[in-house]
Amino acid sequence: MTTVLAPVAGYVVGLAAVPDPVFSEGLVGPGTAIDPAREPGEVLAPISGLILKLHPHAYVIGGEDGRAVLVHLGIDTVLLKGEGFRLLACEGDRVRAGQPVVAWDPGAIAAGGRSPLCPVVALDARPGTVRATLAAGGAVRAGEELFRWD
Amino acid sequence: MAADANAIIAGLGGVDNIIDIEPCITRLRTEVRDASKVDHAALRAAGAHGVMAAGNVVQVVVGPDADTIASDIDDLID
Repeated sequence: MTTVLAPVAGYVVGLAAVPDPVFSEGLVGPGTAIDPAREPGEVLAPISGLILKLHPHAYVIGGEDGRAVLVHLGIDTVLLKGEGFRLLACEGDRVRAGQPVVAWDPGAIAAGGRSPLCPVVALDARPGTVRATLAAGGAVRAGEELFRWD
Repeated sequence: MAADANAIIAGLGGVDNIIDIEPCITRLRTEVRDASKVDHAALRAAGAHGVMAAGNVVQVVVGPDADTIASDIDDLID
């Protein structure tokens, strides 16, 4: 069982609310999404493991058991080409759950006309193996348990 | 399992149909000359989780190995 932590503070909205079919249709896996608080902050590692992929706007942490969790910071934010994001770790680094990985400002993303929603995805998880700890609509603190991956 | 670069090129209508390929963390964002030459079923068979097309922009969802697959495709195209 993998416990997945919230990388950012905000409100849990669920993947269905994400305006990108890759996430809303669960094409890369189940999970949830957080509507982040509109204030500058650090985005945390949702699980302990290796940073398998690190882009300014998204990263993947691979755990010891081979499971990988994707955190995506805002929608269509790849088009920002890193502007407004600051990396706090490197690809290949070993991180602990809750450790800061990227710094950003969701308010600036929203002000730029893009959705700042943060999908948190259990990559390629089998259907029925992810259980939400926090229901959609609830507030979440950064580092708080978000869902469990059986 | 990573998607097969050769099969993705074929599914996108071949090398000559591909204008640009850019990897995002979960997908290949591609621009093609003729969207009617894109074979969605072939792309899924090549390992894509999904395909989204809007005009000449075709997004092939391949999972977190998108950058590796994109560089494989670049190697094959160049």
